[in-house]
Amino acid sequence: MSGWKTWVVPPAIVMAAAVPARATQYLSLADAQRLAFPAATQFQPANVVYTPQQAAAIEKRSGQPVRTRGEQVWRAMDGDKFLGFFILDYVIGKHLVIDYAVALEPDGKVRRVEILEYRESYGFEITNADWLKQFEGKSSRDPVQVDKDIRNISGATLSAHHVTEGIKRVLAFYDVCLH
Amino acid sequence: MTSASIELRRARPLLGTVVEIAVTAQDHARGHAAIDEAFAAVEQVHRLMSFHEPHSDVSRLNHGAADMAIAVHPWTYLVLEAAAEFRRASAGLFDVSIARHLQAQGVLPLPVIASEAKQSSETALDRFGAGAPRHDAMIALLPGNCVRFSSPEIRIDLGGIAKGFAVDRAVEVLRAHGIARGLVNAGGDLFAFGAPHAVDLRDPRRPAALLGRLVIADQAVASSARAVPEAAPSLIVHPHTGRTAAAALGATVLARDATTADALTKLVLLLGREAAQILARYGARALFVAPDGVVHVTDGWPEAVGHAA
Repeated sequence: MSGWKTWVVPPAIVMAAAVPARATQYLSLADAQRLAFPAATQFQPANVVYTPQQAAAIEKRSGQPVRTRGEQVWRAMDGDKFLGFFILDYVIGKHLVIDYAVALEPDGKVRRVEILEYRESYGFEITNADWLKQFEGKSSRDPVQVDKDIRNISGATLSAHHVTEGIKRVLAFYDVCLH
Repeated sequence: MTSASIELRRARPLLGTVVEIAVTAQDHARGHAAIDEAFAAVEQVHRLMSFHEPHSDVSRLNHGAADMAIAVHPWTYLVLEAAAEFRRASAGLFDVSIARHLQAQGVLPLPVIASEAKQSSETALDRFGAGAPRHDAMIALLPGNCVRFSSPEIRIDLGGIAKGFAVDRAVEVLRAHGIARGLVNAGGDLFAFGAPHAVDLRDPRRPAALLGRLVIADQAVASSARAVPEAAPSLIVHPHTGRTAAAALGATVLARDATTADALTKLVLLLGREAAQILARYGARALFVAPDGVVHVTDGWPEAVGHAA
């Protein structure tokens, strides 16, 4: 009558695996550079090592902690013509490292953001335990995490927040060091 | 089967989640071109339907559609039409104008004055109590992709359906590029075509364990869970009983497209077993976990699902 069957398993919340269980490589650095700047004939390394003042300024502008001593930067060139910056950065969830690239126009506007790789630093169980914390009552009060009545629960949501915070820091880095 | 082919998989942060697109293509150039354009479609949905971005169609409607009819992008109009259809099919349960009710609970940023928010926690039930028929007139879908709200009280949030819609648009783009095998996954709302794809259903009480595995091909699957499984006040009010929804802790729906799967997961969460009729109407199948931990599946749920090792 109802059209339902029951299936007895331990109490659980059901969700699709959205973030890969193990490390996943999406794009190589070279592929990511080519895709971001198809017209580029050359990517000139232009790495930046922060002065303490710059690191402090980036933290202040972005509200995000600076955990590295500098940033990996390339200048995308078509012959003599400057096309934009390609910045390789990473963000750390509690147990997950996400490598991603931000391509900037010469004026600092975001041209594209692409995830290169997920690297798990502690292992599958802990990663899951970590994102399960989002179920706990108080996290639902956090306006950054919850953006609607019902969420598609997945580690992907958390990852997206981490990358978003990383982009803020990269844009502050542009303002402080590249502009 | 055919000539040599390569597999490409990429991911970008969009729609508040990580959107992953995978294709099997004849060569790198064609594969990446298809993925680039598919991401562009997802970005377009993000731009149009974001609740937070001030220039999105959703924001423009929330700020001005009570004063005058506002023209929106055809995609936004399509999503509003689909939402209206799900609303009718569910006797008012599926409701994209829910944002204001959530704002009252401090979940979304308030673009309105504070006193209004206080008031609305009391009027939320009244609004539901007003019943479904009135609502259809509240968001008027007019010719020329124009939308008008009947009252400045109305706010819409397309979060319950836009992600699925974005997946469907991306799949369309991939197919138009001649991609025969692909996958688009927007944080758990996904569509796989051309080849079987395994989706793991996880058991949060035993994080390393899987509840089961589902193999899909040429169909969509979407999963939703209650934002607050227990204790804290529910963010969903059942319009007929006035009680907070507790029919399911989590739900997974299989449907012919991701828009449908996305919307139907919300209805299964609210209705539990009572969702059977609506699911049948859309040819969809579902699995949900009741608050007592019992897992219910519809007849016709793929037998492949079972305990994973």
